[in-house]
Amino acid sequence: MAEHEQGSPEPASSTATALEPRWHVVVLNDPVNLMSYVVLVFKKVLGFAEAQARRHMLEVHEQGRSVVWSGTRERAEHYAFALQQWHLTVILESDEAR
Amino acid sequence: MKRVEIRLSLEAVTPLLAVMREAAASLSDGLAAANTLGDIEPDLRETWLDELLGSQNDAIAVLLGLFDDEFEESGVIGFDAGNAEPVLRASAALRLRLRERFLTALSEEVLESGDLEVDSLEEPARRAFMCYLFLATLQELIIQHLDASILEG
Repeated sequence: MAEHEQGSPEPASSTATALEPRWHVVVLNDPVNLMSYVVLVFKKVLGFAEAQARRHMLEVHEQGRSVVWSGTRERAEHYAFALQQWHLTVILESDEAR
Repeated sequence: MKRVEIRLSLEAVTPLLAVMREAAASLSDGLAAANTLGDIEPDLRETWLDELLGSQNDAIAVLLGLFDDEFEESGVIGFDAGNAEPVLRASAALRLRLRERFLTALSEEVLESGDLEVDSLEEPARRAFMCYLFLATLQELIIQHLDASILEG
């Protein structure tokens, strides 16, 4: 961390990033939350456009789950927390665990 | 600021308020939605859950605050950019809790469609289901009229 803050060489930073697993924010289906509500939450929290939000909502509804975001652990935790504030059922998965 | 006001039947809604308040009280120390936090670090997990619980209960307080003395006189509740989001989230929390406590016998299809003869249910499921539908109606009205305000907020 200290090296990074002091401006470590780009190749070292890239190697570290490449070794970190990708984390996936997965929304699971529930029979309670309205479809229109889930679409709104995806737009609000994840910044999805209407069509993208509806596509993920339908994936959750029909397949039981949808990966709505993938990337660093820190950002994945941020999105999971925000989605949980809206009472969606959310889990985090990493490539390592898959 | 866009504002939506709804006049409700006091006769119809008043019995549901007790159901809402009871569900709200049951959520004072627990989250409505089951969530798996995986291998989140213990320190972060505790903070995470505390903040979710605080957020949940703040929103529920906003929802219950709609049904104040003024409502009991006029039957009117109002939504705007200031309360739409917490009312939406609180309604979701209460619906999840009502389902967990009273409506587990209902199929997912019935819960999703709301297509059920209410009088076929025994108490307390009957009143819980009516409250479940009422909260969904509030959510639909807010999303229909204040979607843009929520997204911009």
